[in-house]
Amino acid sequence: MKYLRAALARIAGVFTKHRADDDLREELQAHLDMETAEYVRRGMDPGAARRQALLASGGLTQAAEAVRDQRGLPWIESIAADIKYAFRALRRSPAFTAVVVLTLALGIGANTAIFSVVRGVLLKPLPHKEGDRLVYLRQSADGPGAASLQFSVPEVRDLQSGAKSLGGIAEYSPFFTTLLGDDGAVRLDIGLVTGNFFEIMGLSPLLGRLTLPSDDGPGVPPVMVLTHEFWKNRFGGDSGIVGTQVRTGGGPVTVIGVLQPAPSFPRQVDAFLNMVASPHHLSASMITGRTHRMTEVVARLAPAATLQQARSEVAAVYTRMQSDFKEAYDPGSHYRVAVIPFKEVLGERARLTLWLLMGAAAFVLIISAANVVNLTLMRGVRREHELVVRAALGAGVARLRRLLLVENLLLTFMAALIGVLIAIAGVGLLTSFAARYSPRASEIRLDGVVFGFVLVLSVTVALVMAFVASLPREGTFATWIAAGGRRMSGGVRKQRLQRGLVVAQIAVSVVLLAGAGLLTRTMVRLSQVDTGLKTEEVLTMQVQLLNPARFTPAADAENKALYDRMREEIRALPGVVEAGLGSIPLRASQVGFDLKAEGKSLEVGEAIPHADFRTASPEHFRAAGIPLVAGREFSSTDRAGTDRVVIINQTLADRLFPNEDPLGKRIAWTGDVLRFTPISGERRTIVGVVGNTQDGGLDAAPVSAVYLPFHQEVAMTGGLVIRADANVEALTAAATRIVRSIAPNVPIENVMTIRQIKDQSVSPRRLNAILISSFGLLALIIAAVGIAGVLAFSVSARTNEIGIRMSLGADAGRVQRMILREGGMLLALGLVLGVAGAFFGARVIQGLLFGIAPHDPATFIGVAVLMAAIGIGACWIPAVRAARVDPAIAMRSS
Amino acid sequence: MAEKLDVQPGTLALMILKTLEVLGPLHGYGINRRIEETSKNRIVLNYGTLYPALLKLEQEGFISAEWRPSENNRRAKFYALTAAGKRQLAREAREWHQTADLIAAFLGARRETS
Repeated sequence: MKYLRAALARIAGVFTKHRADDDLREELQAHLDMETAEYVRRGMDPGAARRQALLASGGLTQAAEAVRDQRGLPWIESIAADIKYAFRALRRSPAFTAVVVLTLALGIGANTAIFSVVRGVLLKPLPHKEGDRLVYLRQSADGPGAASLQFSVPEVRDLQSGAKSLGGIAEYSPFFTTLLGDDGAVRLDIGLVTGNFFEIMGLSPLLGRLTLPSDDGPGVPPVMVLTHEFWKNRFGGDSGIVGTQVRTGGGPVTVIGVLQPAPSFPRQVDAFLNMVASPHHLSASMITGRTHRMTEVVARLAPAATLQQARSEVAAVYTRMQSDFKEAYDPGSHYRVAVIPFKEVLGERARLTLWLLMGAAAFVLIISAANVVNLTLMRGVRREHELVVRAALGAGVARLRRLLLVENLLLTFMAALIGVLIAIAGVGLLTSFAARYSPRASEIRLDGVVFGFVLVLSVTVALVMAFVASLPREGTFATWIAAGGRRMSGGVRKQRLQRGLVVAQIAVSVVLLAGAGLLTRTMVRLSQVDTGLKTEEVLTMQVQLLNPARFTPAADAENKALYDRMREEIRALPGVVEAGLGSIPLRASQVGFDLKAEGKSLEVGEAIPHADFRTASPEHFRAAGIPLVAGREFSSTDRAGTDRVVIINQTLADRLFPNEDPLGKRIAWTGDVLRFTPISGERRTIVGVVGNTQDGGLDAAPVSAVYLPFHQEVAMTGGLVIRADANVEALTAAATRIVRSIAPNVPIENVMTIRQIKDQSVSPRRLNAILISSFGLLALIIAAVGIAGVLAFSVSARTNEIGIRMSLGADAGRVQRMILREGGMLLALGLVLGVAGAFFGARVIQGLLFGIAPHDPATFIGVAVLMAAIGIGACWIPAVRAARVDPAIAMRSS
Repeated sequence: MAEKLDVQPGTLALMILKTLEVLGPLHGYGINRRIEETSKNRIVLNYGTLYPALLKLEQEGFISAEWRPSENNRRAKFYALTAAGKRQLAREAREWHQTADLIAAFLGARRETS
């Protein structure tokens, strides 16, 4: 009670200061008068009485100060005064303020933006209920295309019954259909899910309902759950959509609900449908075929089960599966299953890149903070005079330190404000960047946690800055004051700190620049990769005529006729050199099977050869610019009913027939999985060999490929490949118009030139290189400012010394060399440390490099030379200034 | 002159309250005189000690202040004990007596031989 009352009184005291001050003055004066009167009454003369009374009072000002401290909240008042003072001080040195605020703002902005991405993509808990209990199961094997094989229905069943630590298994099959609307057809990426999928995933509906076990099996109406993103983008977030029917390639489907925002893996889908939407997924072959792997598996750990238990149990079940069904798991291909926390798998492709960016941003902040510390130190020395005066007037060390802290907080908060603005501007760009790597990019937010991060960051920087500014220890003020407030050069310790910071800045800049150099060269190497195509003037587009829900030989023949019409009409367009049908070059075909060559048997333990399934019309290779290495291209006679023929690529020829002529040899697709496809395992004669193309991406190893005549196989996908003599982009409109007129209800996808496809492969790396390069450049500038600043300061502190040297006969050149030597030492040390650091740093980013060694000497030398050149340039200015010192003036100025 | 003593923490408030109880409403100078006299000049208060202490007691509600003409017709600020102040005085005096007795008992103990 007493404390509360006192506290209230004191708070009130803050606001009634002026009146109370008058009051107090009068009260103290009255006391003094009464005491003086008393002395006079005792016989002193008035002058002496007054002196005596004053002496006894202990000082009126001090007393008033003591009362004031008791009256209000002195610390708040003095902090307000400090802020006012700090503002004034900063306004007086606008250049200093601008440099500090700007460098810090860039550092804080970069960190904020990248932290928001790291948090959204890697750190934030999943939106799924108890999302940390979800695990993703990945079946993989050796060889191209086998990094993620998915699971078959029998495999899922075995896991479900065998691994008790998996509390529930949510299966979904990535699939696609078309969505027909008023504006034509679009491809719809969907997930086919079982009724318990959402319950196990821990997801709830935003609107309507999600699929239930009652939606399972045949004979139920097809239903659709929209993902949040698709609902927003396609239907404009219209809540009236629930309950309506939409038209898809497989018939009408009822929309039953909208899902809460949530990432899906391995790719973002537009909607989820129940299994009945794909008759194939309910067919007997799907349900019994062990190698018919079309299902992604996410499981929820059983209560009390640990990840370790799940891993060992799944491994045990899988080993049993492999020994029970040997034919489904080729031992040479090393089939395996990994159990990975769902959150981890969602961030798996983004992790290295994001941590790299976070590290680079942190480096930039560190060196910009180092610069600020250096500037503060210099300013601190210039202000020593002021601080001494303040100390002499009674300010304690704590008070001075607080003043510095308030100033620094003011600086960092201004910087943070600008930094946050920079982050807001940059986060959009970064989100689209992250979307290439992670399905969680839409969760990136500048939210409270991110702003908290900014706050902690700013306060930390301010604290560090305030505490490196050297203040004397309490009690040594006397010597300070005794020095008479004469300007003192920074002590040895302080100079050492400054130099250390400059060396660190140079070293960090070198590390960043080396990273930037390596990534830039990676990007250049990548864009120089030989795609295997002879020309870039090729336009490609994909037209999906096959309706997986309604497939018959008659429909196939009809589709082929349509494709032929499209090809012929496009071929007739002016400027078109050739047009072909078949798989789109530089794009993975997504379909591949095991192969056997006639008369060849596998060694024990040798992996079964595997090749991409690609199709080509007779004109295809000429249209795409794929060189024929041996044999012949397809001809118009290679169609249904004639001898089965294939053309293989160079890689497969080398793999199957080393040192032999592959022409005339026969190969056949093999494997249980063929049963579920319209592709036969008949023997086919090799009639040609073509060059390799980088279908798996520019940085991928060459993949074996088999081309089949487009007209001899079922047309599962149709790609149009159009070659022009120049400016192929100009054909886009005309070509799409032709396709649309022939097949109005079919989506046209991936309309891209070869140049664009190439660019798609290069652009993530380009963005990487650009981001790291801009950090590197920023670091370089900051380091240059740092070294120039420290030398300039050193020159001005040594003006006196330089004057003495010059008057003793040192000429300008000698003085200039002296300063350059001082800078050169720092530079050399920084370079050595930086190159060493870059050497280790490069190994960390090895995974992001392509076609270049992590310690590529050319890059390292280039970076070192650049840093040295900039550094020497930065040293030059203060060195020249030192050489211009006039000895007469220099000596007098002390 | 007698030996000067430092004011023990907390004791000044007690002295002020007791002074006001004994003498009734009084200004700062009067309180100062009274404390110096009672302590036989062993305690000399400067303003910087006395006035913050008075303000603190006022903030805590144990005394109240009022401007009034003094005995020689000079305006002065008079402090008076409030009801809460009286209770506080009684409580603190009791505690002090107890503490003093305790200390006295300890210091008065003789060396025990067994």
